Amino acid sequence: MTAAGAAFWNEYAETMPRAQLDGLHLHKLRSLLQYAYDRTPFYRRKLDEAGVVPSEIRSLEDFKRRVPFTDKPDFVALQREAAPYGPTLALPMDLVAHHAETSGTTGTPLQIPYSMYDTVRYGESWVYGYWALGIRPSDSFYFAFGWGNFAGFWSAYWGARRLGARVISGGGLDTKGHIQAILEKKPTVLICTPTFALRMAAVAAEMGVDLSTSSIKYTYHAGEPGPTALPAVREAIERAYGATAGELLGIAEIDAMAPGCPLGDGVHVNEMTVFAWAIDPETGEEARDGDIGELVVTSFANTAQPLINYRTHDLVRPRATCPCGRTWMKLEGAVLGRADFMVTVRGTNVYQAAVENLLAQVPGMSSFYELILRRENENDTMTVRCEPVRALDRDQWDGLAQMASDHIHAALHVRLKVEVLPPDSLPRYEIKTKRIIDERPPEFRRVLDRAGARS
Amino acid sequence: MTVPELIKTIRDARATLIGAIGETELPQVDAMLRNADMELHWALWNLGEPVGVRPEFDYHAETR
Repeated sequence: MTAAGAAFWNEYAETMPRAQLDGLHLHKLRSLLQYAYDRTPFYRRKLDEAGVVPSEIRSLEDFKRRVPFTDKPDFVALQREAAPYGPTLALPMDLVAHHAETSGTTGTPLQIPYSMYDTVRYGESWVYGYWALGIRPSDSFYFAFGWGNFAGFWSAYWGARRLGARVISGGGLDTKGHIQAILEKKPTVLICTPTFALRMAAVAAEMGVDLSTSSIKYTYHAGEPGPTALPAVREAIERAYGATAGELLGIAEIDAMAPGCPLGDGVHVNEMTVFAWAIDPETGEEARDGDIGELVVTSFANTAQPLINYRTHDLVRPRATCPCGRTWMKLEGAVLGRADFMVTVRGTNVYQAAVENLLAQVPGMSSFYELILRRENENDTMTVRCEPVRALDRDQWDGLAQMASDHIHAALHVRLKVEVLPPDSLPRYEIKTKRIIDERPPEFRRVLDRAGARS
Repeated sequence: MTVPELIKTIRDARATLIGAIGETELPQVDAMLRNADMELHWALWNLGEPVGVRPEFDYHAETR
């Protein structure tokens, strides 16, 4: 059989026995710990404070139990003190080949450096997913994506280059322009967020264009809950494009870390570039196979800014086995929810905690608010309902709403509707204050959000 | 070719390349040699070989 006829991108790696994978992880974790300790003041201090000597980590249990967790705010705070990367950078600046940023939804974007080798590693993760879905070098990719500094689809592009497929950039075209480009250039693979795929399909229908008869055979998504996490989204995209839809779980600073399982019911952690385990977010104890826990990851893809035992706040259900034959950890249903509530509004991740913090910064605003989630025009929307302080005159409420909306927009780059209600009009709770009112249809909510709104 | 045979072939190729890295005065060709070695390091990584975090560690750690 030739390589082109293979069912896996790398069957040897993807079906490696667990004991061999674990042995490799231990070697890589020890090497990475030593590398990070030697090269970054951040990890040297962190490991010294925890009394961890990299060479004394002798088992995966040692690693999980002794190596301290890291979290995004640690990195953001250090980068703010010494821009752009602070004491988290492990390579000389002249080896940083690509810069990306997170969307800054918690207030300040995380700055992400990649070496050229990191971009190769990162892109490779996409190819596992492309190949599993049936995409081959003979395919052609259309990127309905405005590039910018967001990591997501840059890495999808690095993957398309690795695969050897033709790449067509939609660049800064508007929605109609993307549709026209697809009709003219006849790509076979569409890369974009799930929301934008549905938006394009709706606009195409208004234009009298039926994309289900277009050249698109596959769609591949990341950036928000998509075809794996939300079966209704899969059905809508596949019907609109007459195509097979795939999804990858990526975290900008980590890797395109978990390409979709060909069975369509989850994603597999790329265990060549990531070591992953799950914890009970309250106790920090390891979650057992099949239990829901918070995903904690160590990236072997990002050598410019190592991320070790990094808390993702994504709630997942890990499985050790999968009927598809892959031995890589499966995350059933991809991300089931967030340990800190988050919803994606027009492509931007919006955290409840971020909105709360921003409202608290608006003079005249009280601490009482609710966030109303709805599904409108194929998008999740969020409306902020809030109360002014009692001392604020009624004729100042409209100005207060505008000020809050502007403040949120400036920080999160997304415009939320803000409604100021009279004092005492929002419900008060004695325990477990309910801040999220989720009015989206259940099929458009993550699994853990479907049972009802989370507070 | 079996996986062990592949690994040996790639290791041999790396040894040959590494001997030439930093030895040419042509920046273009030097960059190509480093990229080629990076790809071979990556191939070993994805064949489950316990290589270092970055390929430069296997030759001149202080050079690009």
